[in-house]
Amino acid sequence: MDFLRPATLQQALEAKAERPAAVPIAGGTDVMVEINFDTRRPDALLDLNQVAELAEIGSDGGLLRVGACVSYARIIGELGRELPGLALASRTVGSPQIRNRGTVGGNLGAASPAGDAHPVLLACDALVEAASVRGTRLIPAAGFYQGPKRSVLAPDELITAFRIGPAMGPQQFAKIGTRNAMVIAVCSFALSLWPQGRPAGTGGTIGTGIGSAGPVPLRATDAEEFLAAELASAGLWESGVALPSTVTHTFGELVAGAARPIDDVRGTAAYRRHALSVLARRTLGWTWDSYRKGARQCA
Amino acid sequence: MRVSMRVNGRRVTAEDVWEGESLLFVLRERLGLPGSKNACEQGECGSCTVYLDDSPVCACLVAAGQAGGRDVVTVEGLAGAAGLDAVQQAFMDAGAVQCGFCTPGLIVQAHYLLRETVDAGGPVPDDGEIREVLAGNLCRCTGYEKILDAVRLAAARKAAAAAAAAGQAEPGQAEVGR
Amino acid sequence: MTAMTGTVAAAGTVGASRTRMEGRAKVTGAARYAGEIPFADLAHGWLVASTIARGRVRSVESAPVLAMPGVLAVLHHQNAPRLEEFAGMLGPDPTIQILQNDRVPHVGWPVALVVAETSEQAREAADALVIRYDQEPHDIAFSAQHPGMYTPDDSPLLVTETGKGDIEAGLAASAVVVDEEYTTPEEHHNAMEPHAAMARWDSGRLEVVDSNQGPFAVAQDLAKMFSLDLASVRVRSEHVGGAFGSKGLTRPPVVLAVMAAIVTDRPVRVVLTRRQMFSVVGYRSPTAQRVRLGADTDGRLRAFDHQAASLTSTIHEFVESSAGIGRVMYDADAHHTSHRVVRLDVPTPSWMRAPGEAPGSFALESAIDELAHKCGMDPIALRARNEPAVGPVSGLPFSSRNVLGCFEEGARRFGWADRDPRPGAAREGRWLLGTGTAAATYPARVAPSTAAVTAEADGTFTVRITAVDLGTGARTALTQIAADALEVELDRIQVKIADSDFGQAMIAGGSMGTRSWALAITAAATELRAQLALPGDIPSDGITARSDTAEAIGALARQERHSFGAQFAEVAVDVTTGEVRVRRMLGIFAAGRVVNPLTARSQLIGGMTWGLSMALHEEAIRDQASGAHVNADLAGYHFASNADVPVIEVDWVDDPDTHDPTGIKGLGEIGIVGAAAAIANAVWHATGVRHRDLPIRPDRVLLAGSRGC
Repeated sequence: MDFLRPATLQQALEAKAERPAAVPIAGGTDVMVEINFDTRRPDALLDLNQVAELAEIGSDGGLLRVGACVSYARIIGELGRELPGLALASRTVGSPQIRNRGTVGGNLGAASPAGDAHPVLLACDALVEAASVRGTRLIPAAGFYQGPKRSVLAPDELITAFRIGPAMGPQQFAKIGTRNAMVIAVCSFALSLWPQGRPAGTGGTIGTGIGSAGPVPLRATDAEEFLAAELASAGLWESGVALPSTVTHTFGELVAGAARPIDDVRGTAAYRRHALSVLARRTLGWTWDSYRKGARQCA
Repeated sequence: MRVSMRVNGRRVTAEDVWEGESLLFVLRERLGLPGSKNACEQGECGSCTVYLDDSPVCACLVAAGQAGGRDVVTVEGLAGAAGLDAVQQAFMDAGAVQCGFCTPGLIVQAHYLLRETVDAGGPVPDDGEIREVLAGNLCRCTGYEKILDAVRLAAARKAAAAAAAAGQAEPGQAEVGR
Repeated sequence: MTAMTGTVAAAGTVGASRTRMEGRAKVTGAARYAGEIPFADLAHGWLVASTIARGRVRSVESAPVLAMPGVLAVLHHQNAPRLEEFAGMLGPDPTIQILQNDRVPHVGWPVALVVAETSEQAREAADALVIRYDQEPHDIAFSAQHPGMYTPDDSPLLVTETGKGDIEAGLAASAVVVDEEYTTPEEHHNAMEPHAAMARWDSGRLEVVDSNQGPFAVAQDLAKMFSLDLASVRVRSEHVGGAFGSKGLTRPPVVLAVMAAIVTDRPVRVVLTRRQMFSVVGYRSPTAQRVRLGADTDGRLRAFDHQAASLTSTIHEFVESSAGIGRVMYDADAHHTSHRVVRLDVPTPSWMRAPGEAPGSFALESAIDELAHKCGMDPIALRARNEPAVGPVSGLPFSSRNVLGCFEEGARRFGWADRDPRPGAAREGRWLLGTGTAAATYPARVAPSTAAVTAEADGTFTVRITAVDLGTGARTALTQIAADALEVELDRIQVKIADSDFGQAMIAGGSMGTRSWALAITAAATELRAQLALPGDIPSDGITARSDTAEAIGALARQERHSFGAQFAEVAVDVTTGEVRVRRMLGIFAAGRVVNPLTARSQLIGGMTWGLSMALHEEAIRDQASGAHVNADLAGYHFASNADVPVIEVDWVDDPDTHDPTGIKGLGEIGIVGAAAAIANAVWHATGVRHRDLPIRPDRVLLAGSRGC
């Protein structure tokens, strides 16, 4: 095994081009488990910790650009205001020790359907920035995942950052597990409200993301469209009144319907669908309450 | 490969390190520092918690090469010339140690909690905060109650010491803000 | 220098809180566990475990692996040293007759050991080692209805069946009947320290460092297995990182280390991975228990029937004694308890914290709660009504029995009197709230031990006993006991433990260690004081008195001697997601004389936390197709983390046992007994839905909710 330790992004990309089988390692929270358990002995490890560019937080146009090696702890500490949904999801990742090392870039690289960042990236129309010596491309999160632990990333590409619109309305993330901490999600759900519409991506007013309930992280498109239409047609954004319970209920059903869960150790498919409908209703309640409060304060 | 780093304040070099090796393995098997424990190899139990630069991490999930040139502090490095660290002393006094296998990782993580709170001039952490920060350190013996006692005790002692020091500077202000 | 005992008016230290003797070593990282002691020229062994659940090893392709860097040997059934089949503490133990034949009885069975210069080389080679099998169909599906269920013979550990009166007639005559099945899953000890052992030859002696609960018993086993004189085997276990029964017997790592030391003539260390621990160090069998209770409307039991089923392996019979608890707790004119077991293609189960009583109390104390509800009675009042005067099965008197004192004190502190008995009545936001209670009991047994106490010329005393401190605080408790027995200050006592050279002693297990060892130390101390009372100086090598308690224990009156307790829990249940959170727990125990309140309290809280984990989290799951676990690591097998544990309060009531010279009953197991039932009963109280299958997972709460409500 070789241990490659590029100091710059250019060196990292060259190394990846030369050794496409090299496994990138940042926080190590996935890769090292596989090596420790001897389920994987890669030809080379490509350590990204020395590449300063990958640990930067900046902005590009109206979007935030968050380096692939920014830890969950930094997202919680530095981006809680701009990215409340992602910060909430980051808080549920593993333990404090894991959050100090683990990164969204690693979550994307592993592409596990249980990764905690995915639902929020979907709900916020994040763009995954992938780079190689051939150039850089932006991949919408919804098109990034291909299957359990598979993504559209080319062998010579590295995830360098993700770009994401700062919140313009309430966001929530909820996750069900059997313990209070250190839990892989039985299922999870992210919801974002964009009262004026998103600055990029779909431009819609509602964003959703489902985790651990399908071969890939999923969006509940029907639920998004239903809710957006209901809010618009009834003038609810303007009136800021409580949501009719039928709306909340249908939204929950549509989210559950979008899931493609299986039975496994952590829960049955039926349970996951049910739990998702609960999480969807609950997060909608929380976000809408918070929107109404915000609207009242503005008024 | 060769890996050089600073461990507990001393520059050390490990030779013939396998590239897939963890920092934990280097500490335990090559540097004679088995205080950090190997109990799950997957970052679930926290028994191997060490400081990497200033952050507590699971040493089993840090590739040895990633620690090159960096600063590592293990449980062996917490006691100073003046004696045990306040957290170590409190763990003994409160009866927070049983089999002792989770203890080193817990002590490093609790040390970090107090460094970020009381030591930084903040309030003593409440129980919810303690449980949350220590949630990644599994213990199979104690049921965690005495561990909470120990962290509360260490925090109170540190706060009292800080207050006493402040009191010397400004008499009568000892308990303000607590 | 002359005798010094009793000259200082030492306050009794037994009963006073003392911090741990080895605390400093543990908080500084200086304490060395079995896998951490350096030896010159140390080699490393890596266990290779079978990947099939049943069949034979056809071939072990060693040649390519022997050519790998650093590899010294590959041991397997064709070349490993032959082991004597012998009867150990509990008779023959086929689980350590490893690498002796080609038979594979379960996934994870040791089929080879790779020995190499470094553990990394050994691991890499072990992973590369190709083993070919002749696979046979396996059966791992446990249920009470399995056609292979049989009634095992009585053993020294378990009377299989007890009975009096006519159960069917008793049930027929009862106004109120509970007849339900309860199940508990496969559970694993998961002590934080993985099993480790080092063996080497030192001037013709076999020297072993091993993580176990009884170094003398392990030394005896090794001597017999390898045809050595007991005097030429030394086993030490200075620090053990938790055990809970998993290190109670000689286990494969130490046997493999000795084999490898014989073959390579080098010191060899073998350390298990967490995953390997799931297959070769025992576990708690899943259980299926039918409890039938018949009572009058006033709650008085007429019929009591507890039938417990568990599994064992095809190579060794271990029976989880779940139905034993009713032989102590409740009487009825018709009273029946029985055990059945089925042999499956799985690893051999073993003792795990409160073997029998832990799963048994879940079933029984849930059923008692169901009965109380059906009778319209408070569950504590129902228990009080059925309090037996003598042992329900034995007819022997209790040495002491203060279970009602525990309930009384517990109810007062918990605020039980304010409880609305109706289920589903309390709500707080999305959470339904409930409280539950259960009784606890565990036998207070004792076993022969030897000890030596030396009066040193410098005025100090040295105690030598092959006790082990698994984290229980034994080292500290025994120092207190010795100080009181010698009537000197604590700092003049040095207690040396965990070295088989100190002679026979009871293992640290079954809540028997402290009582058994205390008896031996006290006897030796008494003898020493008699010697010191004679005129004369202490020679430079000191004066030593020895004890052997076999005779004294044989002379103890036959009695029902047990610890008791009352468990209380409050839970919050979100029936829309199925999440259950425990809000507080309280345990009040009558557990004899408490030697060190500081360490005792923590041990009891630890036991109750095990009950919480048992109720909500723990469950090892096997894939029927392969016979292997699907969650054999700490990411998949959950026990409570700090954030899951609520405030847990523990205390004890007076429980003087004047029939025993030490008055000690032991605290290792009692904390877990009844705790899971108290939580399950609280979940029922919160939701109105009864959970008879552990763990109470979110999906079970949800599905039960949609069925029940």
